[in-house]
Amino acid sequence: MAAKSDIHLYTAATPNGIKISMLLEELGLEYKTTAIDISKNTQKEPWFLEINPNGRIPALTDTFTDGSPINLFESGAIMQYLVDRYDKDHKVSYPFGSREYYETNCWLMWQMGGLGPMQGQSNHFTRYAPERIEYGVNRYQNETRRLYRVMDTQLAKTKKFLVPGDKLTIADISCWGWVASHTWAGVSLDDFPHLNEWLERLLARPGIEKGRHVPKRHTALDQRGLSQEELDKRAKEAAKWVQEGMKQDAQR
Amino acid sequence: MAVEPQFTLYSTVVGPNGWKVAMVLAELGLIYRTIYPDFAKKEQKGPEFLKLNPNGRIPVLVDHHYNNFTLWESNAIIEYLVTKYDTGNRLSFGDFDNQQYMRQWMYFQASGQGPYYGQAVWFMKNCHGEPREVVERYQNETRRVISVLERVLSQQEWLVGGKLSVADISFLQWNTSADRIILGSEFIDKEAPHVRRWMNAIIARPAIAAIMQERMKLLSAQT
Repeated sequence: MAAKSDIHLYTAATPNGIKISMLLEELGLEYKTTAIDISKNTQKEPWFLEINPNGRIPALTDTFTDGSPINLFESGAIMQYLVDRYDKDHKVSYPFGSREYYETNCWLMWQMGGLGPMQGQSNHFTRYAPERIEYGVNRYQNETRRLYRVMDTQLAKTKKFLVPGDKLTIADISCWGWVASHTWAGVSLDDFPHLNEWLERLLARPGIEKGRHVPKRHTALDQRGLSQEELDKRAKEAAKWVQEGMKQDAQR
Repeated sequence: MAVEPQFTLYSTVVGPNGWKVAMVLAELGLIYRTIYPDFAKKEQKGPEFLKLNPNGRIPVLVDHHYNNFTLWESNAIIEYLVTKYDTGNRLSFGDFDNQQYMRQWMYFQASGQGPYYGQAVWFMKNCHGEPREVVERYQNETRRVISVLERVLSQQEWLVGGKLSVADISFLQWNTSADRIILGSEFIDKEAPHVRRWMNAIIARPAIAAIMQERMKLLSAQT
């Protein structure tokens, strides 16, 4: 049975959003979910900016131990909060101050500062840009491949998870949704056997499986079998609201 | 006799991320030496360096007083430094809430500011400002990040807990890149006065000013 909490997750079906729901499921915590419709720019509304001044998902609110609310944004910071406060048995984290604790932070920051933003740029130039700019497509697909190679090499060494040891950590969880979306970024996993094995192995965990479908069904892995035409069609639909949102941001 | 440095910092002159770590080391009064791997020779991709950082990037910090403990990713390094060596919480916080808020801003810096400003600089410096729509994309994102900071700093002096912390310091170097390269200093001067006030307050600290001067000296020696 899920443990009681006041956690309220504001999220959308994206690699950054599902990090939090997958972690909450792995920890067995109870939580409320509000789906944010990023295609309607709900994340830029004043009530949401009160929770996250950056106007992005995910965000999370909770009642802190002193009884007053705590509002958090940035998926990596939310994950560290959740394990610091709720993972007392160290199911998906290592004890504070241990070698593995700091190594987890390295990979988590690597995901947040490298894999996420760069694969995100690959999505932009591969799927959303108003016209195709070959240089941009190549630059970011190559950078995504470089980052996958870093992970693949690490997993070849550790055999199991990013941080050496027998434990899934928030570093792995933070990368999973991005690697699962590789097709959308225009990158195949054929050359990354250890990464592919890791992706499938994590998928077999009930927490990952349940959490990836919050707030709606996770479809990234289904894209692997799609034709170019079908991918183009889906990209065209998404490109409309992505470009509209960019225009509005530029006017602010 | 000179004191043997406790830390070795691997850094570059051009990139801002090593300098973030240098500023925190200097503020905490920690003794370090800096090694600049030769990027022209791709030393940061060589087997020796990859043992330190599998990602082949700077900065990396080695703590010689703690079994040569080695860390990479600038903000992971900074969090290590304040956790272990800022026990008086001069640049960090002792209470749980502010520790979480500090992290939140440092993630925003590492995932929202650094990568996007970095793309703008890349296209402006290495690709002569082409393609123009790509440069505009990243200039717009730079403006957006600055406007998020402006919104918050118009209501409070510092990002977290009413005092200067490493969260504030982590934003400084890339914001100076917005001034020098991406947008020109008039953008922050005119559109984000609270961000300018905040940057000036950080730069006014002697330890930070000394690091900024050292970087500028090395930068001008390169060009």
